[in-house]
Amino acid sequence: METFKILQNYFQQLPIELKFVWILSFILTVFAIIFTVYLKILRISLRKKEALTIKYQKEYEDLLLSFLFEEIENNELSNKQNQFIKKIENEINNNFKREIIVETLLKLKNEVSGEIETAIQDIYLKSNLKEHAYKQLKSKKWDKVANGIKEFTKFKVKEAYPEIKKLIKYPKKEVRKEVELYLVSLFHFEGLEFLNDLKISLSEWDQIELLEELQKLDNQEIPDITVWLNSKNDSVVSFSLKLAKIYNKYETVETLLKLLDHKNQKIRLQVIDVLTHLQVLDAKDILKNSFKKRSQEEKIAIFKMFENICELSDEDFIVENTTNSNFEIQYLAIKMLKEINEKAFNYLLKSQNKFKNKELLKFVQNN
Amino acid sequence: MNTTTLNTIIQIIHYLFFSYAFLAIFSYVVLSIISAFETIDYFKKNSFVNYKKILSSNIAPSISIIAPAYNESLNIVENVRSLLSNHYANYDVIIVNDGSKDNSLELLIKAYDLVKINYLINPQLKTQPLRKGVFKSTNPAFEKLIVVDKENGGKADALNMGLNISNSKYVACIDVDCLLLEDALQKMVKPFLEVTDKKVVATGGVIRIANNSIIKEGKLMEVNLPNKLIERAQILEYLRSFLLGRMAWSRLNGLLVISGAFGMFHKKIAIEIGGYDTSTVGEDMEIIVRMRRHLEEQKVNYKVAYIPDPLCWTEAPDNYKTFVSQRNRWTRGTIEVLRKHRKLAFNPNYRNLGLLSYPYWLIFERLAPVVEVIGIIYFGILLALREVKWDYALAFFILAYLFTTLLSLGAIYSEELTYHQYKKKGTGFKLILISLLEPFVLHPFVLYAAVRGNLDYFFNKKKKWGEMTRKGMGNINK
Repeated sequence: METFKILQNYFQQLPIELKFVWILSFILTVFAIIFTVYLKILRISLRKKEALTIKYQKEYEDLLLSFLFEEIENNELSNKQNQFIKKIENEINNNFKREIIVETLLKLKNEVSGEIETAIQDIYLKSNLKEHAYKQLKSKKWDKVANGIKEFTKFKVKEAYPEIKKLIKYPKKEVRKEVELYLVSLFHFEGLEFLNDLKISLSEWDQIELLEELQKLDNQEIPDITVWLNSKNDSVVSFSLKLAKIYNKYETVETLLKLLDHKNQKIRLQVIDVLTHLQVLDAKDILKNSFKKRSQEEKIAIFKMFENICELSDEDFIVENTTNSNFEIQYLAIKMLKEINEKAFNYLLKSQNKFKNKELLKFVQNN
Repeated sequence: MNTTTLNTIIQIIHYLFFSYAFLAIFSYVVLSIISAFETIDYFKKNSFVNYKKILSSNIAPSISIIAPAYNESLNIVENVRSLLSNHYANYDVIIVNDGSKDNSLELLIKAYDLVKINYLINPQLKTQPLRKGVFKSTNPAFEKLIVVDKENGGKADALNMGLNISNSKYVACIDVDCLLLEDALQKMVKPFLEVTDKKVVATGGVIRIANNSIIKEGKLMEVNLPNKLIERAQILEYLRSFLLGRMAWSRLNGLLVISGAFGMFHKKIAIEIGGYDTSTVGEDMEIIVRMRRHLEEQKVNYKVAYIPDPLCWTEAPDNYKTFVSQRNRWTRGTIEVLRKHRKLAFNPNYRNLGLLSYPYWLIFERLAPVVEVIGIIYFGILLALREVKWDYALAFFILAYLFTTLLSLGAIYSEELTYHQYKKKGTGFKLILISLLEPFVLHPFVLYAAVRGNLDYFFNKKKKWGEMTRKGMGNINK
């Protein structure tokens, strides 16, 4: 008590700035103690959560597996399925348990196929899990909306289409991406219709995800992609160029040749790449004639294209570029010259004094 | 000089010190708050990312991992194996043996069935010449591996050789002694592919300390807290720096440094600006500053991204001698880079770079140890003159200590809520304890190294990298 009074008196006679410093120190001390205690509690709760997750995962997995396999042997699934559904209906009101149930169902669904996969799908559809996902679609939080869509995609719930389609212009790109994946995963190439009036850019990452999803499909009829190739949205053009390359869309060559004059260099480069892949000989003269006005990257891409399809008739064009200031173009030109006309190449070797990079000539000669 | 004038001068000095400390504290608080928002946002967004698709995609962009090696025979074979086991479809690994005096090359040749090949190098960047040449494996299992043996030219020179050799769109430059997690490339390449409104030119990764952790066959099996105080304190320092500092700078698009131990670049831009600067020991910071400066001058809308996931694990110094040598180099690197690019300072033409990032680095990174040393000297003078007001000194000392501790606790809290790497019972207490001790067991050495770094920069120009003695990642748990 005496010490407290001394401290109180000392504090009262302090100048204002020192009072401020001590008050701040006191607040920071309180924060530090709270932080320390909270860290302890947090670590304990994280450990508990991890243990509980493992416990529930195992419990649901065992339960689900026993139900599913009994069905095949005894054909009694529907009763047991109902029991199981009732059990999970009671548990899904708890967010933590619901997440584990969904994860378990998905995990098993990805590991099996045929009747068992359909049975897992049925459990999802007949339980309240589906309704929960519908509720998430109406949430004001973007991550919940995205989560709801993701669930419908994984469990292939086609009847959610009208609700999900409304979200295609959602402000948050993560939600839009989930909508796109839902459309493509469930409706395949038909799902790509959203590209028709897409105003926002489709990132390279999104494009890869969509293409990977499409490439899982067998025997799909690939729609006409000309509309997308002519889209005003460059990302849609880029995506359709990837489709043209992957699915060898020879019928788009005419449109592709027009795209060689696209305003976006990235698109022009991609077009050259697709033309290279499709080995379109008609493109050669167009590219040779416009070579000088094209960017360095395009010129390199053109030479990479010629690498596979060059002929003796291209010799003048190739010789002209054996002294190109760009290393890659020069190398490809010399290499091609050696391939199409060894004599001309040997002549080049004799006049090698005009070459700065003699290593390059030597390399082509020896390889 | 009369007493009144002297008192006025002393008052002014006090207010200058106070203002500096206040601004520093304020900036740390603001950065921590921004960081918290950015971390939450990152985690929410990342929960919807399916990395498996990029992993198997044949249209995923190509990446070259470039790893310079100098006298790394102790664990080079293991480390290369770790680099070759990354989960990504389209990548290769370029090991640049930078004139090693040990048997690193022979070990690699033997372990990976390497043979010398004819390889045409595009000499876009000037480097030291090849020594024994370029090697590839005859074993298809190691077809992704390219080993280049060249004359010694330093880390930057070796990285430039890697840039010349690479045929990929992106390059991941790493220290060969680092351990990359299997999903590192997928995660690091993501910002390049997902940002549509800006051009992403580089991505920085988090570096974590692997001392005492269990590593088997190039894989991290168990994360442990090291035993020595110096190692533990560095863990805390890294958590603060990566989880609180860089996360916030990433949000502000103001990152000035991507750790040399692990960063990914758009190769074309790295070459366009002339690659790594071989004349500085801070080449990792320098290339980012130069890249940003170049893009600002070109009026390009760009971004330097940052991935907070613990993807790269390294060995931290476990003794004060090595630690001081490392920090001395970091200090010299910072001074060199800031001096070289002094044109940026407070220059509105460089927007955030000139008005925010550069001034911050200059004032709170470059000048902080200088101000601290001046403060200590000033305190000594006051002591000698018996002018110390002990009630003030004690109050401010306690406040500074509490703030530092609280910031460290904040970093630990952030780590627990996000990655929770130190799971073992008791480590929480040890981390809290080190946050109380760090100002005494690490900070004085950081300050000493910074002073040495300044002195070496101004008075010992010949000093370059200095030695970093390593135990080897496979052995650091022993």
